Amino acid sequence: MSKSIFELVDDLPTGGLTVMSLNALDFAIPGQWQNTVGFDNTIKVVTGTDDPEYVQAIGERAVALYNDKGEGYQTAMWLYNTVDSGSRLLGAAAMANKVGEKFAMLGFLGNITPKAETAQTIDLSVKLVAEIVAYCQINGIPGDSVGDFLAGLGDYGGESLMRMCALVCFDGLIPLGPDFIGMVMDKMGGMSPGELEGNQTFKGIKDQIPGGDTGGQLGFITESFGNVSGWMSDFVSSRGLSPEMIVGNMRNFVEISDDKLDYLGAFLDVSTNYYVHTGTQTLARRLIERAAAEM
Amino acid sequence: MIVSNWRKAMMPIVLSVALLFSACSSKEPSKYATTQKETTGRNAPAAVAKNAEAGGDFNKFFPQGDAGFARVFSQEKKGFAEAKLNKGGKNVAVMSISDTISVPTAAKKYEKSTSKIGSYPLIEEAPLKSTGVLVNNRYQVKVASRDPSFTGDDRQAWLKKFNLDGLSKLK
Repeated sequence: MSKSIFELVDDLPTGGLTVMSLNALDFAIPGQWQNTVGFDNTIKVVTGTDDPEYVQAIGERAVALYNDKGEGYQTAMWLYNTVDSGSRLLGAAAMANKVGEKFAMLGFLGNITPKAETAQTIDLSVKLVAEIVAYCQINGIPGDSVGDFLAGLGDYGGESLMRMCALVCFDGLIPLGPDFIGMVMDKMGGMSPGELEGNQTFKGIKDQIPGGDTGGQLGFITESFGNVSGWMSDFVSSRGLSPEMIVGNMRNFVEISDDKLDYLGAFLDVSTNYYVHTGTQTLARRLIERAAAEM
Repeated sequence: MIVSNWRKAMMPIVLSVALLFSACSSKEPSKYATTQKETTGRNAPAAVAKNAEAGGDFNKFFPQGDAGFARVFSQEKKGFAEAKLNKGGKNVAVMSISDTISVPTAAKKYEKSTSKIGSYPLIEEAPLKSTGVLVNNRYQVKVASRDPSFTGDDRQAWLKKFNLDGLSKLK
């Protein structure tokens, strides 16, 4: 049986590699993310109340909403989980690939693992699409116009903004370098449905991606990435983000030399789950807001 | 060299797995255990009533943003719509309309109301820094503060900006 929402939020860690990695990104979005954990504590933080009766009533409504499968919250949680575990497999494959490039005797690994860059390109784009689909599952499509919807997306703050920041830094800048946006757009534009089909992260959430068949889904992913590329590019340039800057901030807890940046991307992939962590926080916040408004 | 890097990389994973297992000792049942039991399983009731109004039908009754306040729609689900009020890029309040057909106790609390906006009963929930009115005995319109600068008076002022009469005619 899957875990309840209160268990998921209560079990969020206060330390460990995921939390340390996200804290290392505070320089990019100062003060935006606090690692809020614990179900009752999140109710208190979101609504500002510590009245036990209100906390209990809001919690019960939030639990009921989450458990109603038709409400989409569980699908969103599944998406966050699936892209993170897909990414872990990729992390392992990318490491094998790097080893394969370094040692001739292991060179055959290059034949059975995807080229790191292509795999990472798909991973980044699919994670972004997962974010869009999860957003719609959690929030619906708010407002009466596309403009309202985009304004909602543009209003990202707190843990949602941190998730996007980590996506840009850990899945974009570090593994693919400063020109990752243009590179991903080129690669996605020239990709065949077959290449996409072979990707683990894509396979994990394929059923939830709009577009019909794999070709249509490839179109949807490429278009979505294109639509968000302006936002990402602003995000990077307005903060002057670079791989070196991120690595500099991570050196506090990860020993890494400049020529091993690719390993750092793979290391983060296998050792952190920032999508699930911040996704659980986002979901809890939205559920609690709704529960408080409905009671 | 590579082998030792690998080990270094694996260490946190091994450690966290070990910690996870050691943390799985017996726990007291949660205070949400009853709700969890009642709302899961084959015959669990839906959290949102089948005939609840579509959230999108509520959008047009929300006030527009004005001087200094940006209105950003943030949730639209069956029986529920929510918009944030932001000032200077900071969220200061949330506004919502919900269909109490899914949560009858929400409508019932207005029986204790002692004041009104127009003909609609008003309730102030101090612990939530929230003020609400009940329209047509069914639709709950709420404004909740998210910043100390947004006072109870502000909440009432914004409630008055909703098209409450329009909402009362929603069929």
